[in-house]
Amino acid sequence: MIRPTRTSGGIAALALALAVTALLLENPAAAFAAGSLALFLLWRGWRFESDLAAAATSLEVIRTVDRTILRQGTAATVRVQINLTVPPGMDIRVRDVPPAVAVGDAPPSPPGRAVTYTIRLMAPGETSFGGVAIEAADTFFTTNLVCRRSGAPQIRVFPAGTVGDGRGRGAGSGDTEVDRRMAISGQSILGFRPYQTGDDPNLIDWKITARRDTLYVRQMTGLEGGAPLIAVDLPGRAGDPAAFARFSMAVSGAVEGAISARDGCSLLIVAGPEIVRFLPRTTEIREALAALGGLAPLEPRAPLYRAPGPAVLAARARVPRQGRGEEETAYLARLCGALSAFAGENPALFAAAVRTAFSVAEAREVRVYSLLPPGDRSHLIQLAGEAKIRGMRVVLKAPAGTGTLPGVDTVEVI
Amino acid sequence: MEIDRKFLLLCAAEVLVVAVDNLILALILQVIALGAFVGDRRGYPVFVAGAILFAAVVASAGNVALIGLAAALGCGYLILTLYDYRLTRWAGGEA
Repeated sequence: MIRPTRTSGGIAALALALAVTALLLENPAAAFAAGSLALFLLWRGWRFESDLAAAATSLEVIRTVDRTILRQGTAATVRVQINLTVPPGMDIRVRDVPPAVAVGDAPPSPPGRAVTYTIRLMAPGETSFGGVAIEAADTFFTTNLVCRRSGAPQIRVFPAGTVGDGRGRGAGSGDTEVDRRMAISGQSILGFRPYQTGDDPNLIDWKITARRDTLYVRQMTGLEGGAPLIAVDLPGRAGDPAAFARFSMAVSGAVEGAISARDGCSLLIVAGPEIVRFLPRTTEIREALAALGGLAPLEPRAPLYRAPGPAVLAARARVPRQGRGEEETAYLARLCGALSAFAGENPALFAAAVRTAFSVAEAREVRVYSLLPPGDRSHLIQLAGEAKIRGMRVVLKAPAGTGTLPGVDTVEVI
Repeated sequence: MEIDRKFLLLCAAEVLVVAVDNLILALILQVIALGAFVGDRRGYPVFVAGAILFAAVVASAGNVALIGLAAALGCGYLILTLYDYRLTRWAGGEA
């Protein structure tokens, strides 16, 4: 939205003062002066919008990146020249908008001047530039307009080592905890996390606590069957691409971390009630990343919308059959009849497939990665339910504020 | 600083417009003053036509014309906002 400058604010104040004068003194010349100043501002606003539209339509972006295929976290040099027609009386500065998952900003520059800057792409997958931001101003108005029509070229980012999250290879400097593999396989430290109420006080790591000035606890690896199962719930296409890029980065980091810190991991990728990929007990980082490669938001062919199990279905069928009105009573009777008919036989194919996957994976812990979008989550409830039946610990990794699922032991924010 | 000086001159011109107490003279003075203030006068005849129309309404209806103008300006700013919204959507690749 266009914003008034100090000058147009002054003119508006002047018009108001003249209007008050006109009403108090009943002076037609003052009324005319007040009205014409207001008209003047409206005309300038219309002129500003027309000039901005003309500038935006003449936009031409010449952008080159030194590498379009690179590894996660490595630097790429971008050279961009943004040309547009600058209307007389308007001052325009342009700025390139890097991809959402990139670290590094382009400096603002006048149109037509080539600018070179460096970015680091922090998430794997296909990504593109966010467009061009136009900062336009004249004497009376100012605005920022982001043109997202010029996102080329596409950049492909391959996953790399986890950096600075407490168990990675380290960035080469700073506060980095390194978890080296133990010479003797046994219970070792998987990582550290902030203390939560109910945690065993014996697990508090006092060195990290002293360094970070807040309580941290050690997360131990299991003694047997320690390889976790990482379940990835692919979101639908309607979601935010930047959020999916961060989600994809978190999954890649988790898989790489699990493989480098423990005896491998299993990977289960689902889209709604469909199993997209299943990779049991792999210790090969290349194999795991190949399974993750090219993952994109996927719309499930049919949502599950299913009760967690026959017991829940039978409980729902026992709702009172008497409603307030005749129609409601008839509806409840039919609903209870239908639920009772299905309560006995519950051929949940998805649950059966997950059960088989769990038995092949032989994991003690399942880590569910999901963006938890609104809508049907019954497939995740079934997945968590099957894990609990097998006595597995369920850790849900989801964005902050998205809630939780029944049967989940721990929720961690990604 | 340049703008501040020009704005003070505009204020002085407005005092003059009110002081003449004659609508035709006020119109001429206002057009000259704002024309000098704005610098780039592309599309200025459109504003001049609007000002002449408004002066005619003030001459016939008196100060009540201010209320009508306020309503018209409200509609004008609404149209401007819609235009800006359309432009933002077009730039975002949605329209």
